[in-house]
Amino acid sequence: MATETNPDDLPAATNRKWSLTQEAFDRLLRCLADERDAAAEKYLEIRRNLLKFFEWRGCPFPEDHADETVNRVARRLTEGEEIRNPMAYFIGVARLLVLEIVKARAKETQALGEMGKVEIVESEDPSEARLECLRQCLQDLSPENRELILGYYQGEKGEKIENRRKLTERLQVPVNTLRMRALRLREKLQDCLQKCLAAAEM
Amino acid sequence: MDYPATPYNEELIVRYLLGELDEKEQVEIEDHAFQDEQYMQSVLTVESDLIDEYIRGEIPADRINQFENHFLASAERRDKVEFARTLATVSAEQQVTQAAPIVRLAPPVRENALLAFIRSLNPVAAFSLAAAALILVFGMVWFAREGLRSRTQLAQQQAEQREREAQQRLEAERKRNEEIAAQQQREVKEGPTPPTPQPSPETPAPPTAVATLVLLPGLSRGSGGVPTLTVNPMIGTVRLLVGVDPQDDYPRFKVEVRNQNNKLVGGQNNLTLRKTKAGRTVVVDLPASKLTPGRYELALKGLNEGAVEDLGFYYFDVQKK
Repeated sequence: MATETNPDDLPAATNRKWSLTQEAFDRLLRCLADERDAAAEKYLEIRRNLLKFFEWRGCPFPEDHADETVNRVARRLTEGEEIRNPMAYFIGVARLLVLEIVKARAKETQALGEMGKVEIVESEDPSEARLECLRQCLQDLSPENRELILGYYQGEKGEKIENRRKLTERLQVPVNTLRMRALRLREKLQDCLQKCLAAAEM
Repeated sequence: MDYPATPYNEELIVRYLLGELDEKEQVEIEDHAFQDEQYMQSVLTVESDLIDEYIRGEIPADRINQFENHFLASAERRDKVEFARTLATVSAEQQVTQAAPIVRLAPPVRENALLAFIRSLNPVAAFSLAAAALILVFGMVWFAREGLRSRTQLAQQQAEQREREAQQRLEAERKRNEEIAAQQQREVKEGPTPPTPQPSPETPAPPTAVATLVLLPGLSRGSGGVPTLTVNPMIGTVRLLVGVDPQDDYPRFKVEVRNQNNKLVGGQNNLTLRKTKAGRTVVVDLPASKLTPGRYELALKGLNEGAVEDLGFYYFDVQKK
């Protein structure tokens, strides 16, 4: 099982004196739903939302922050706290964690005497491996979906808007439906691209 | 609905994503998004549009700093930007290849003026003009055919090149899988390593496919919800992505896999952390031949300056197809 970590070794925002145990995790799942599979599903949904939340709030390590939130909620449960609305409770705990993260970052920034700018490395053109993977992923889509995603992102400014208008007419869908479909395809492609790159690396 | 009715306002969402709203407004948007799937999708579409605007240089200059310092703070967001850049490149390529050749029709010739000009020429001049026009037409046809042929050849060469590369990748992957399987067999050390049989022309090709199983901390450590791995004859290697808790911070890890009889069937030492889609993981490969149907226990250990610490146990079932 997970071991205790010396709090002094960690930055303030991630200090831990308590670690998630199997028993605490089981208790957490029971609080989410009576049936284990349903609870696991709910847990994954909450974790997904936590990841989005920390990403939206501009936190540097959404995965780690989401895990820390889960740990804190699990700890409160072992201390006897009752949770009626788990999602709201998790987000509440996450908001408190964001305050700590912001405070810790401000301290670090001050200590470093910098303005807290994130170093943005000007991206070069995508590598040929990435392009090739994405081309393959596009080939795996149905012709209609391929046309949709390529048409949706083609062109600039006015031309792009015009392309999208034509797509809504051709597919006979409202503009919001088109946007959602494009988003879903985009997520699917990004997932496919990552898998393809991971497979190429192995 | 028990959330504040945040109207769908794209500019408001953009300001939220750039960290420009006050806490109360942020909370309203988040609560709405987490309780209303459609609103959540709206936030995500605005987010992806914002990324596209950034890579196309369409974000106003006064917002670029905010975008880079707040929006791009996490690696996940930077991945999304990188993906958008790739998609934009491929999308532009497709636009070029799909675009039909633009044929610009010459403005209609004023027939009367042309006829009048031809009629004004003497017969020799008229014949020369006709011959010149004919040569011009043949020349254009020839150039068009040559151009088409070159393009076809180029496309063919590119396709052949891509096919060659794919073959090379496939071959490399096959070799790597074989090496991994061989290495695993050596490491398991259940007994003297039998000589590797040399494939003869009659021997069927060894299984080379890789099956991957993700073992998450928390989910795969308990007794319930044990993941199942189905191994078919084509699978030569089983790749386990073992999720590591964030607090388990060790320079190296060790993994041991045991069957129901507590017999060691595989494992690996000195593993390092990898960032994968499944989060912080260590990756361990096992030859599929070692995994007979049944339940397995994977022990994850942290290695630090000679000390070995148990970090967790993960369980998974194997079934054969």
